[in-house]
Order: sequence, then C-alpha cells, then structure tokens
Amino acid sequence: MRKIILSSIAALAMTSTAFAEVKIGNPMGLTGPIPDLVAPMAKAVDLAAKHVNEQGGLFAGGEKYTIVRADSACDPVAAVDAVTKLININLVSAIIGPVCSGSTIAQAESVSIPAGVVTLSVSASSPAISSMEKGTDLVFRTAASDAYQGIALAELTLAKGIKDIAVSYANDDYNAAIAGVFAKSFADKGGKVTANEAHEPSKASYRSEIATLGATSDNLALFAYYGSGGITVMRNALETTAFKNFIGADGMLSQEVIDQLGAENLTAVTFTTSASDDSTAAYGAWKSLADAAGVPAADPFVPNSYDAAFMMALAVEKAGSGDRDKIAASLRLIANAPGEVILPGEFAKAKKILAAGGDIHYVGAAGPQDFDENGDVAGRFSKSVVKDGAWSAELIK
Amino acid sequence: MWASFGFEFVNFYFIPGLVLGCIYALGAIGITLTFGILRFANFAHGEVMMTGAYFTWTISTLAGLWLGWSLHPLVAAIPAIFAAIGILMLIDRYFYKPFRNAPTIMVVMASFGMMLVVRSTVQFIWGPNQLTFVKGIDKPNEAVRQFTADLDLMILVPNKHFWIMAGTVIIMLCFTYLLERTRIGKAMRAVSDSPDLARVTGIDVEAVVRATWVVGGFCAVAAGVFLAMDIQFLETTMGFRMLLPMFAAAILGGIGRPFGAVFGGLIIGLAEELSAYPWIGDAPFISPGYKTGVAFTIMIIMLIVRPSGLFKGRTF
Amino acid sequence: MDQLLGFFLYFLSLLTVGGIYALLALGLNVQWGFAGLFNVGIAGFAAVGAYTYALLTTDVSPFHMGGLGLPLAIGAIAAMLLSGAIAGVIGVICIRLRADYLAIATIGIAEIIKLFLKNQTELTNGPRGINKIPRAWEHFTEERFYTSAPMSWISDAAGWQAFFDSLPRWWWQPMFTLTILLVIFGVYILLERARLSPWGRMMTAIRENEHAAQAAGKDVTRRRIEAFILGAVIMGMAGALFAQHLRLIDPTNTFDPAKMTFLVWVMLIAGGSGNNRGAILGAFLIWTIWSGSELVINTSIEIIANYQDMFDVGVLRTRAGYLRMLLIGILLQFILQRYPSGILPESRPAAIGKQ
Repeated sequence: MRKIILSSIAALAMTSTAFAEVKIGNPMGLTGPIPDLVAPMAKAVDLAAKHVNEQGGLFAGGEKYTIVRADSACDPVAAVDAVTKLININLVSAIIGPVCSGSTIAQAESVSIPAGVVTLSVSASSPAISSMEKGTDLVFRTAASDAYQGIALAELTLAKGIKDIAVSYANDDYNAAIAGVFAKSFADKGGKVTANEAHEPSKASYRSEIATLGATSDNLALFAYYGSGGITVMRNALETTAFKNFIGADGMLSQEVIDQLGAENLTAVTFTTSASDDSTAAYGAWKSLADAAGVPAADPFVPNSYDAAFMMALAVEKAGSGDRDKIAASLRLIANAPGEVILPGEFAKAKKILAAGGDIHYVGAAGPQDFDENGDVAGRFSKSVVKDGAWSAELIK
Repeated sequence: MWASFGFEFVNFYFIPGLVLGCIYALGAIGITLTFGILRFANFAHGEVMMTGAYFTWTISTLAGLWLGWSLHPLVAAIPAIFAAIGILMLIDRYFYKPFRNAPTIMVVMASFGMMLVVRSTVQFIWGPNQLTFVKGIDKPNEAVRQFTADLDLMILVPNKHFWIMAGTVIIMLCFTYLLERTRIGKAMRAVSDSPDLARVTGIDVEAVVRATWVVGGFCAVAAGVFLAMDIQFLETTMGFRMLLPMFAAAILGGIGRPFGAVFGGLIIGLAEELSAYPWIGDAPFISPGYKTGVAFTIMIIMLIVRPSGLFKGRTF
Repeated sequence: MDQLLGFFLYFLSLLTVGGIYALLALGLNVQWGFAGLFNVGIAGFAAVGAYTYALLTTDVSPFHMGGLGLPLAIGAIAAMLLSGAIAGVIGVICIRLRADYLAIATIGIAEIIKLFLKNQTELTNGPRGINKIPRAWEHFTEERFYTSAPMSWISDAAGWQAFFDSLPRWWWQPMFTLTILLVIFGVYILLERARLSPWGRMMTAIRENEHAAQAAGKDVTRRRIEAFILGAVIMGMAGALFAQHLRLIDPTNTFDPAKMTFLVWVMLIAGGSGNNRGAILGAFLIWTIWSGSELVINTSIEIIANYQDMFDVGVLRTRAGYLRMLLIGILLQFILQRYPSGILPESRPAAIGKQ
C-alpha cells in the first residue's frame, strides 16, 4: 500500500514540476468544527489566485500562481500532517495559513518555522501568535489580534449607551479569547459586566443559559460562531424576549444568520468585524470584485483571506522567485508604507510598478495590512446592522 | 428582569428540559432496543436521526420546488421514515449481520465505522453547511400565555414545543400498544429478556431483529425531526452530539427497557437544563461549560451504583 | 534534490506520527488484547499525558499555570505516572463493568477529562491550549537549554548558536524519529516479556474464561486493574510524545475522541489484537493510509479537473476531506469482515512452546 501511495506521490510530483508555476500551500479547516465559515474563505483565496493569473501571472514569464489546498480541520494533528505534506511533497513556497489559531500555532511551531517557510495566517487571532517566534520572522497574519477587536467592541458598546451587559461565549479558542478581552476592557472603561459565562458549542438548547444571563441584564454580548451554536443562542434569546440589545463579534456575521432568523427579528443587533466599509476605496474595490464572483464580501475573515492570497502573490512577485527565504522580507515591503497604493485586484498595476523598481503599499479589503515587528496588523473594524435583509457595514472611526 | 414573569423556573428551565428530554427519550428507545435484542451499543444511531432529518428537509424542499406545496415537517417525515428504515435494514444486512455470532467488539466497531460512513456520505452529498429547516422565530403561543396569565401562572411555550411533546406522547402510546398487545411486540420483549429461551420456543429471531430496526428507526427519525424542529436548522453532527446523552438515558433506564429509556431521557434532559439553574445565589449552579458533563456524570454514577438501571434492565 | 529530501522528511513524519500511534495501539493492546478491557477513553489518557508533560516542561508563560521548565525526561515520566494514577482510580471504580458498559463509562470519563481541561482556564489556558512545548533534540536549540547546565558546560551560547547554524535545518528530525522508534522497541520488548510471563498467561486465561480463572484462585479484579494501569501508562507516554510532535495541544480538537480513539482502535483491530507486532504494524499502516489518502484523493481530483470540464470540481475539492473519512470507514468494514483477527493474528503464549 505504501508503495502504491509513494509511487502515486512521485507521479504527482513529476507532472506538477513540468509547468512553470509558484505553488502556495493553503491548509484550511474544510472539515472540522467550522466548515461553513471556511468555505467562503477558501473561495476568496481562489478568487485572488484567479485575479493574479488573469492579469498576466507572476514575473515576466507569466508563471502560474497555484494554490495547493489541504485540509487542516482546525485540528493540530491534521494541520501538522497537512502542512508537512505541503512543504515536503508539494514543495510550496509559503503557507497561507490554517484557519484556527490552534492549528496555525501547531503547524508553525512544529513544521513551517523549523523548515524556514513563511506562514501568512488568514484568521488566527490568538495573542499567543505575537509572542511565538524568537529570532525568526516567519509568521504573519492578516487578521488583527483579539485584543484590538475586543477593545473596539467595548468602546462601541459604551458609545451606544449600554452601561451593563451579560456576556455569553462559546468555549472555543477564538470566542473565549475575544470575550475575555471584551469583558475586561468593558469593565475598565466604566461598564458593568453582570455575568460572564461560557457555553459549550453546538448544543441543542441554550435556554437555561439564556435565562440565567437574562436575569442579570437586558443586553447580551454574544461571542460564538454562527455555524456552531451561535444561531441557536440567538434564537433561544429571541424566543424568550430575554434581551433588548445584542452585540457581538465577527463569528456571528453572516447572511446565514439573517436567512435563518429573519431580518425582522434582528433589529437590535450589532456585530463588529475586522473589515472596512464602502467609504474606503479598498473595500469598494473588493466588494465589486467579490460580488461579481459570488463570494460573500462581508462574511467573517473572507476579506482577510483574499488579502492574504493577494499579498502573497505580490510578495512572490517582489521577491522575483518562489524562493522560500526571500518571501518574508518582500512581504513586509509590499504591505507596509511607503509606496504607491495598490487596491484589491490591481495585480497588473502592481506588477508594472515592481518591474520598474518602484515601491508598492497594499491596502486590502480588510483595511491596511501594515505588519508590525511581530507580523501583526492593527486591523480596522466596522459595525454591521441589518438593513433591507442584509448586513450593512459602517467603519468604526 | 424575570421578576415580571414570576414563573421563570418552569418556563425557562423545566419546559426546555422536558422538550430536550422528549428528544433524548425517542432516541434512547432505539438504542435500548438494539442493546437489549441485538446486544451491542449501536454508535450509528445518532446518524440515523440526522439522516432522517436530512431526508425530511429534502422531501419538503423538493415538494416546495416541484409541486409548490409547503409540507409541515411532520408530514414530510413520513416518507423519510421509510427511507431511513430501508437504509437501516441494508446496513444490518451487509454490515451487522455477518457478526451475529462473533464477539460483541466486532459489531460495535462495525457500527462505529458505519457512523463515519453515513455521516461522511451525508456531508459529501448535502455539504457541511447548516441548512435552514424552519425559518424565523417561534414566539410563545399567545392563547396559552393569555389563558395562564389570567391564572397567575404565565406559561410561555412556543408552538413547536407543543408539537414535540404531543408527538412524543402519541408515539409512546402507539409503542406501548405494540409492545403489550401485538404478537411481534411480545416476541421482542421475549428476545430481549432471554434470546435462547425465545429461540427454543420458536420465535423467529430474525423477524424480531427486523422489527427492532423498524421501531428503532421510526423513533430515531422522529427524534431527529423533532430536534430539527426545535433548533430549526440541520447540521451533520446533530446526531452525534445527541448520542452520548442518549446512551446515558438508555443506561439510566435499564438496558432493554424502552419505558426506562423514556424515563431516563426525560431525567437527562431535565438534569442538563436544570444544572445551570441558580439554585444557590445568582450564578449558575454548575458552569454551563460543564453542561455536557452532567449527563456523563449521571451515567457513570449509575453504571457504578446500579448497572441494571432504574428499571432493572439487563446486565451483561 | 529538494524533492528527494522532501520525501525523506515526509517519510520521517510518517514514522514519527505512526510511531506515536503505535504506542497508543500497544497500550490499548495491553488493555483489550491481553485483558479484554474495552477502553474507548484513549484520547482522555493521551490528553492527561500530554498536558502533564506540557505544564511541566514548558517555559514560564503568561497564558497558563506554571511552565516549570523541568527536563524533558521528568515531564515524560510524570505524564506516564499521572495517566497511570488516573487509570488506577478509574480501574478501582469501573473495572467490574463488563465490555460495553466499560466502553460507555470510559467514553464518558474521557469527555469529562476534556471538559475539565477546557474549563480550567487558569491551569490550562482553556480551549486555546498550550504552545511552545519543547520537542526532544530540537529543544537543544532553545536558548533556555543551551545557556543552562549541562549544555553550558560544553560551550557558551555563541558557540552553541554557531554549531546549530552549521547543521541543516532538519537535523533534529531523524533524531526525534529515532527516539520514538527506540521507545516503541523498548515498550515492545517489555510487553513481549509480560505476555509470555505467567502474568501474561494469566491475563489470557482471565480474558477467555473469567470464572474458570477465578475458580483457579486468580485475583481477577487485581490483574485487570494492573493491565488497565499498564496500558494507560503507555498511553500517557504516547500523549507526551504527541505534545512534543505537535508543540501545541488543545483540549477540543487535538484529543477528539471520534478521531483519535477511533483511529487507534482501527489500528489495533487491523493489525491484530493480542499481537504486539500486529499493533505496531497496524498503526504504521493505517496512519500511512490516513495521511497518504489526502494526497491520493487530491491528486485524483486534480486529474479529473484536468481531463474534463463537464462539472465543476470546486465542490469536490472542498468536500474531499469527507471522502477520506468515508474511505476509512469502508476500509474498516472491509478489514473487519475479511480479516476478523487482523493481519497478524494473536499467537497464544501457551501454544508457542508447542511450535
């Protein structure tokens, strides 16, 4: 059996090296706990690759920009295995990261950092990622650390005149963390957190949790993924009319929520997301590209995924080859100021400037993607409310 | 804010617990019957629930698309039940029957493998995304609310919960009739009590096995559809997440004791919901993060203290 | 050249993960193959081992308690001891439950362990897990190791740094794999001895006919608890090695019973339960199939995409993971029906003398 597998791998390797192309590994949590969030993110990555290839491909020779997808299942075991294969069998130049923080950290520490391969994560938001490396500069992310969004949400909540709030969060790596930051900064800024309870994701009923939280406050801060229990929490809360106002972070921001619960029931709901709004040129450019391709532009981490795949192409173009060692430095160059501003989709323009020896500065769908020394971005957040049966975003200034 | 309702314990802890308990109970019937008659823990049972709900969704969606009918989920569930029972029979014929006389571990492993096969097939065909089963919010029934409010006992129950509770009671009545009055029901009880004795008295054991799948499949699909009516969407892991609490219910009631399983299901459902009630002070009694642990704790304590269950089921 | 090195490193990773699973399968073989104890809580014991190891050996961290920074071997030994101790407690309470009941009880216990690790956020960093877990051999390149005894006796920090920079990036990988293979070999030798000893023969007797063994004056319960603890000790060790390999562990996904426990069971049944060599073979074989199937399925999808454009393969691409699960499920059914006693069936200790 092993023989068969190895020989088929060898056959794959031989056929694939025949084309001139630069391969980027893209492990995504296609199976596992949040497949419904990941599907549009994968589409956004493919869309970026399509734009790059339609606009002449990479380098002067027009090499193909190929995304090699694998399944990281939000599971460290699967992610480490998938990235081992991407790096050693598919020989990818870089990794556009796994979705969940846990699998991102595991694959980075276990495989990609020791191998000297750059990881650009699309949605890992754990603060542990900032302090992960020592002496290497190999991990970047296009999603802001939880710390920023939690604080932004706390400020927004207070600005809406909400003084006391009950917090309910799904006990997973993303939501537990952002809820912690929110609760702390809400209290620090003078609000009152009346209750702060974890709930198990994907249960059939959250009525008792809702009742216990509802006894303490009229306002609910909900941190959950819509695909694993978030909708049920909202539904149970709305059925019992326990809360007047709902706020939450981007795990809940999806058209699916409106489709299932009905727009008429979601009049007092505000969710933040790490993306921009129509008032910025970058988001406008992204929205029209995404709408044309049928990708949900405002879904959680979808713009970030597009940015990651697009920036990786720019970095490879800047580096001049798919050489693993050069990508980190050129990723910083194309992402950070100074340089001519490049908007989502403008690959041909960027290529021309780079060929002439100029500098570019990518401003992405999810906001400017200037990396700090840890490879983190500051992030820009918008708040979304339901308007005419769809989410309508507005930048938080 | 609950002070204005005054009756929050019943409305927000007891009734939801009862609804959850009904779903557990229906699922546990199939588990306890398979355990009692075929003598193995069927890990694929949760997937039957899930598949039944997916069939129901597909039938009502297709009826809407092709014929323009909007079927009530309970109507669409009827053909779904036949489809699910058919699949159960096929699984039994090709994957469980070869192990009838083999050690239990073989058929348990086979059922574990079937769990994966069925779930990944559904995930492959329908995709991993959630599907909307019933759109919108089901607000509490206004007539009941008015009526009980006049009596100072305001009861808030959405219509879907009436359907689920009434459906469970009706299925239980039919089931009682089947077990107590019909020939095949009596044969099932006999095989469950002592398979060897049943065989020598001339009971067709294979017919009893088929009847077990029919009854178990019927209840499982009913449980799956009720669950989907309650949470109003479908996801492929919905059955698996119910599996362990249903095992707990079956063990609590006593293996091979369908009424015990119903009782066990209600207890587990209530215990899960009531564990978060602020019995002492204002905070939840047990952190909701540990909610799933409640069923397991009850189950393990029961296994240790009284493995035959509350209703003196079989022990092996 | 890169490609050949890549194949070699992937082969090493198959040996590494397959080896860790082989340890889990050996532990299960003691419990199920020797003693007939139906343990479905493997992921729970592995999690206990992994978390013990991680908390004892990581550097001080703001995210979780401790980070005691102890030597790796101490962490691994503590992992084995704690896993064994927990198995002892569970054993005393649950061991008299028969087959299916013990299975359900151990599933429940593994879930409760998982919930504990998930909810005790101060201790374990909750669902976000523990990272920066030191990996054997590779850990020498960490500053806190080469600046402290005994490494600092040999050379100073700059000397070590220069030395590690002179090695290829992957130098530690064969060493780590070799370490795991040595551990497997050691455990295998010990278990073979145990199997052929009077203790092992008594285990077989108890498994085959409990009442006869009891009538012959054997302390059945005690022997069973011993086997349960011994298996759990090996699983704790495997958990510690898993933590080293992954370098991040989290309670929800790393130790998902539906994946890990199930995979170990498939490995043991496929390899041949009761046979230590079978357990090892099954683990390497099934892990290779599990890991390699992703490459094969993805390649097939690309081939389909290249040679036809009648339908969109995008759906196939995003759902390939489920196809893989389906494949493993069917493979299991095939093995169960075709090779009911595994590829290497058990050979009874009593029968060996006659051969």
